[in-house]
Amino acid sequence: MKDRLSIKFGGESGQGINSLGKFVSKALKETGYHTFAYREYPSIIKGGFASYQIDFSSVEVLSPSEKTNILVCIDKEALEKYLFNVYSRGVIFHSVKDFILSQQAEEYIKENKIKIVYIDTLAISEKEKAPKIMGNMVMLGSIWKVLGLDIKVLQKVVIDFFIQKEGIDLEAEKRCLLAGFNLDEIKDDILEGLPKVKDNKWDKSIVITGNQAIALGAISAGCRAYYAYPMTPATSILEVLGNTYQKTGILVKQAESEITAVQMVMGSMYMGCRAFTATSGGGFDLMTESISCSAMTEIPLVIVLGQRAGPGTGVPTWTGGSDLNAALYAGHGEFPRCVLSLSDASDSYTLIQDAFNISEKYQIPVILLTEKHIAESIFNLSSLPKAKEIARGLVKDGRQRYLYTKSGVSPRWIPKVGTTTYLTNSDEHNQEGTSTEDEHDIVNMSEKRMRKLIALKKEIPQPKYYGPKDPTIVFIGMGSTKNAVLDAMKLSKKKIGFLHYQYIYPFKGEKIIQFAKEKVKIVLIENNQSNGLGKLIKSESNFYISNTVNKFDGKPFFVDDILEYLKQ
Amino acid sequence: MKVDLNNYNTNEKYTWCPGCGNYNIHMALKKALVDLEKHPSEVVMSFDIGCNGNGGDKIEGFRVKGLHGRAIPFAVGCHLANRKMTVIADIGDGGCLHEGIDHLIHAIRSNYDLTVLIHNNENFALTTGQITSTTKKGKDMYGFPDGKTEGDINIGELVLSLNPSFYAKGYSNDPMQLTEIIKSGIKHKGFSVIEIIQICPTYNPENSAVILNSKISKVDVTDDIGIARKRITSKDKIYTGVIYQNKKIKDYYSLLKNRKNRNTELVNEVKSYGVSNILNDID
Repeated sequence: MKDRLSIKFGGESGQGINSLGKFVSKALKETGYHTFAYREYPSIIKGGFASYQIDFSSVEVLSPSEKTNILVCIDKEALEKYLFNVYSRGVIFHSVKDFILSQQAEEYIKENKIKIVYIDTLAISEKEKAPKIMGNMVMLGSIWKVLGLDIKVLQKVVIDFFIQKEGIDLEAEKRCLLAGFNLDEIKDDILEGLPKVKDNKWDKSIVITGNQAIALGAISAGCRAYYAYPMTPATSILEVLGNTYQKTGILVKQAESEITAVQMVMGSMYMGCRAFTATSGGGFDLMTESISCSAMTEIPLVIVLGQRAGPGTGVPTWTGGSDLNAALYAGHGEFPRCVLSLSDASDSYTLIQDAFNISEKYQIPVILLTEKHIAESIFNLSSLPKAKEIARGLVKDGRQRYLYTKSGVSPRWIPKVGTTTYLTNSDEHNQEGTSTEDEHDIVNMSEKRMRKLIALKKEIPQPKYYGPKDPTIVFIGMGSTKNAVLDAMKLSKKKIGFLHYQYIYPFKGEKIIQFAKEKVKIVLIENNQSNGLGKLIKSESNFYISNTVNKFDGKPFFVDDILEYLKQ
Repeated sequence: MKVDLNNYNTNEKYTWCPGCGNYNIHMALKKALVDLEKHPSEVVMSFDIGCNGNGGDKIEGFRVKGLHGRAIPFAVGCHLANRKMTVIADIGDGGCLHEGIDHLIHAIRSNYDLTVLIHNNENFALTTGQITSTTKKGKDMYGFPDGKTEGDINIGELVLSLNPSFYAKGYSNDPMQLTEIIKSGIKHKGFSVIEIIQICPTYNPENSAVILNSKISKVDVTDDIGIARKRITSKDKIYTGVIYQNKKIKDYYSLLKNRKNRNTELVNEVKSYGVSNILNDID
C-alpha cells in the first residue's frame, strides 16, 4: 500500500507489548506522522498472544491493515503465529534465541522475500547492566534506527513516561535504548522494498482512544457522576474518569452490578445531575428493564454499549458490531428511544455530548453504540472537535410533570427545595403522574411519549456522505466500518462513496433512496453476520440492500478487506 | 419553612385493605418528616413496586415509583447527586430480600447517608400472597399449600452481619414509636435500615396484633453489636426500637477524597467544562 507503513509488536501478554507500541506510536506522532494503533489481546492476564500494531502515513490513517510490513516479536509463540502476518518484502525483528523456522514458515518467508533480523536483546541489556525487561528498550532503539528517525524524539517520549514512575532506573533505560539504536546489525538498506512513507506533515496532534474520548466528552458536557460495573471493552472509561477525578471532581462509583449502576444513573439524572454508565452486551442486557423504565418515567438516561464479538460471554476482548438490535429493541412495551453509533475518537467525543442533550431535552433513554475496536484503538486527531453547547430543556418550576404537549415533551424541573413536588411514575399515569388504568389516559400518554420521536427525528442530522459527487459504488454502514472504507478510498482508483450512519434511530432513510434512484451500486457493510442495520433500513425505508460485506470473526474491517472487495 | 401534616396529605384514595399496616406506617413517616420540619420539597422518596409502592401517590414530596427491587440504588443515585435532600427508600420484604437483596447488602457496606424503610409483612401481598424469605414455615401460601420449602432470612441478622451503622425495628401497630425510629434514622448520618413489622390482615392474619403485642418489647439504642445480636435472635421476644447504632462509621460521600473541600452538590455543577488540562494527563 502506497504511503503507508505498518509495524506490529507481538509478544506474550504481560511482556510489555503495550508499552513498546505506545512509545513508537507516540514518537511517530511527535515526528509528524499520522498514526493509527490497533490492539489484539486475549482475555487472560499472563500468557497468550498480544499485539500492538501501528499504521502510519503522511496522510490520515483511520484503520489497521490486515498484515504488517515490520514485525517485532519478543516471544517465540507470538513470532510463530504472527510471522504469517507479514506482507511480502517485509522485515521481522525478533529476540528469540535459537529460533528455528518451521517448514511452512520457511516457505512463506522465502516466497514473500521477508528478511529476518535476530537481536540478542538479553545479552545487550546484560552488557548495559540493566534488568532483563529492558531488552524491550534495546529492541525499541533498533526499530527506530531502521526507520531512520531522530532518536531524540523517541528518547523524550520514553523519558517522559518513565520519569513519572517510581523505582525505575532511567539511566539504564536510556543506555539500552541507545545500545539498540547503535547496533551494527542494523543496515541502512534493510527497509528496501517496503512502501515509502512521504514526509511528515501532521503537527501538534493528539493520540487518544475512543473510550478516552468518550470520557473527555462526558466531562466536557458537565457529567458529574459515573456509575459502572467492569466489562470489556467499556471498562477503560472508568479508568480515565477515575484517574482524573481529583481534577474534575466527578463522582466515580463502581457499582455492585449493572442493574445498580443504571439505577444510580437514573437517580442522579432525576435529581438534575448529568450521569451515565457504560457496559458491554451482557451488562447491557441486565439494564434492559431500566431502559423501559426510563422511557416510562421520562427520566433521562445515557448508556454506552461497547460491542464485542459473540453472544453469551462471546470473545470478550475482540470486536464486533452485532448489538444494534439489542440497542434498538431492548425493553418491554412501546416507547421512544435514541440510538447513536460511534465510529472513531472524534465522534466518541462529540456524540456523548449529543447523547446528554438528547436524553435531557427529550427525556428518553439514549444508547451509544461503540465497539472494542473503537474503544481501545488509538486514533490520531489534529485536535478535539469543538465542544457542543449544553442543552437541557429544563424549566424552573411547573404544575403537571407529564403535561400533554404537541411535541410530547412535558415540562421537567429539578427536584429542589421550594419547587412543586411531583410523582414520577413507572406505572402508567395521568398528567399529574398518578397511576391510572383509564383507557383514555393510557392511549393519550402513550401517544404523548411517542410524539417525541417526531421532533427528535427533525433535530438529528442526516447520515454523513463521504466521497465523490458521482460515485459508482456507495457503501452504507455504521461504526468503525467507516474507517476502513475511508482508508480504501485513498488507495483505490474507483469512485467510492460512504454513507455513514451515526444517528441510527430515529432513522433517516432519504439519502439511501436518493442513491437508489441514481442507480449507484449500493453495498451494505456490517461487522456482523445478520445485517442489523440492513434490517432497520428495510423496515424503516422499505429498501432492501442485496449487496453486503460482512465480517464477524472478532476482527474489525481492515483496509485490505475493502480493497479486496473492490477487486471483484 | 413551617410544615404540618396537611402538607404531606394528598387527595388520592387509599387502596390498601382495611387494617393494613401501611396506614400507620404512612402516618408515622409523615409525622416524622413534620417533626423534623422537613418540607415535602426537601424530601425524595424512592418507592418499590408492591403494596408499599401504592402509597407513592398518598404522600407529598418528590416521589418516584420505579422498578421492583430497585428502590435502593435509585435512592442512592438521588442522594449522591444532591445531599441537601432527605432521601428515603421505601420497599417491601419481597423487593428488598428477593429481587434486590444485593442492593441492600452493598448499600449497608457503602453506608450512604439515606434511610430505607423495609415493610415486612412476610409475603408478596400485592400479587396476592406469595412466599417470601420471611414467610413462616408451613403456612399455606399462593401455589404452595404445604408452605415454603426454603429457609428464612432474618433481616436483623443479615444487616448486623454487614457492619452496619444503623439498624432499627419498628411495628406498624405502634406508630408513635415508629415515628421516633424514623426520625432517628433520618437524623443518623449513614445508611439507616429500618425494618417494620407490618400487619397484613389479608395474607398473613396469623401474625395478628394480639400475638405480636404479647411478644414485643421496646429497647433503647445500643452501640454494642453483641447486645444487638441477642436482640434480633431471641426466640420468645420481638425487640423494637433502634436495635443498633454505630456513629463512628463515616458515610460514603464524606470519604470521597475528590469531593473534599468542594462545597457544591453534583447537581449544581452541571455546566460546560474545558478538557485541555485533562487531555494532558491522558497518555
